[in-house]
Amino acid sequence: MENKDKSNMGRDVIFRIKRFDGEKSYWSDFVVPAQKGMTVLEGLYYIKGTYDGSLSFRASCRMGICGSCAMKINDKPRLACETQILQLNSSKIKIEPLDNFRVLKDLITDFEGFFAKHEAVKPYLIRKDDNYAEPVELIQKPEELHAYYDFTLCIKCGACFSVCPAAATRDDYLGPAAMAAAYRFNIDTRDEGRDERMFMVCSDVGVWRCHFAAECSEVCPKNIEPAKAIQKLRFQAAVHMIKKALKRW
Amino acid sequence: MDLLKWFEVRGKSLFYISYSLHRITGLILVLYLVMHLSYLTSLRFGEEIYESFIATTVTPTFLIFDILLVLVGVYHGVNGLRLILHEFGLAYDVRRPILYLSYFLVLVLWLYASYKLYVFIVGV
Ligand code: SF4
Ligand code: FES
Repeated sequence: MENKDKSNMGRDVIFRIKRFDGEKSYWSDFVVPAQKGMTVLEGLYYIKGTYDGSLSFRASCRMGICGSCAMKINDKPRLACETQILQLNSSKIKIEPLDNFRVLKDLITDFEGFFAKHEAVKPYLIRKDDNYAEPVELIQKPEELHAYYDFTLCIKCGACFSVCPAAATRDDYLGPAAMAAAYRFNIDTRDEGRDERMFMVCSDVGVWRCHFAAECSEVCPKNIEPAKAIQKLRFQAAVHMIKKALKRW
Repeated sequence: MDLLKWFEVRGKSLFYISYSLHRITGLILVLYLVMHLSYLTSLRFGEEIYESFIATTVTPTFLIFDILLVLVGVYHGVNGLRLILHEFGLAYDVRRPILYLSYFLVLVLWLYASYKLYVFIVGV
């Protein structure tokens, strides 16, 4: 039928994938019959099931929640499960592992350091009156919740870290996601652990390494604006350090 | 390896490009500063040497370099002010208009400074 909407029609798309087998890296091309709504992740599963079972990538939820499928698609880090093939509007799609991470195999990168950095900023409520035997409800006003809510949406996908120029030149730099998490807990009215957190935030792997390239906010699939969190955190860090210096003096 | 990454332009947005330009213009300004100071140091070897340097470089032939240098300086300065503003945690939500405004300011200041330079060196 001639009156079919063109965007509804499927077409063959070439997936050009950067591979790594533990020793050498190379490119593999595969043809994927893309249909409307088909995601890059589905394309990768198609390749794995049809052509090459050794193709390795991470994925779990397939719905933009677990953060495991971030990869560079046509030069930009995106979630493979939330990127539709036909919406990329190209007959050839280039897929690479995230930058700034060590590649383990094909599209799988080593996230251990990334998670360790997250842990280092103590991304949890710290209370002086912790009592698990008799827990008390911690009351919060809606506006207090809204102050930090957006930053809770981070899915730890690593997209922000992969484009960060500060992370490119310093492996130990905490990076946007960890600092957004630090800021998220620092401004939580129930939290009492800001000083503990600031130890890492103010260190030489913390906020001062950021030079506001702001690309993290451009690529974050959850739009949580990590660059905003870092700049606000930087101000907190400056106040914290001045106070500390005055106390010592 | 890490040093080479310093020169990579990874991001596609104007924010990242501005960041890379800030780095490059910073490097150029440092090089210029060294040249400039060497120039001044030549005074210690005699006024004639300094005067001969000036006679070579403050000329219409060198005007194009001066104009480019002004562009580098103006860009680094204006973009630097934009960064300082944001790094105080301010005006993040209007960062895009501010970015465009900063480019506009660079253009205006650069054209004005270039005109002044032209008048100074070539005369009207
Ligand atoms: S801040 Fe955004 S890009 Fe970074 S890890 Fe969290 S969700 Fe991913
Ligand atoms: S598979 Fe979970 S975010 Fe893509």
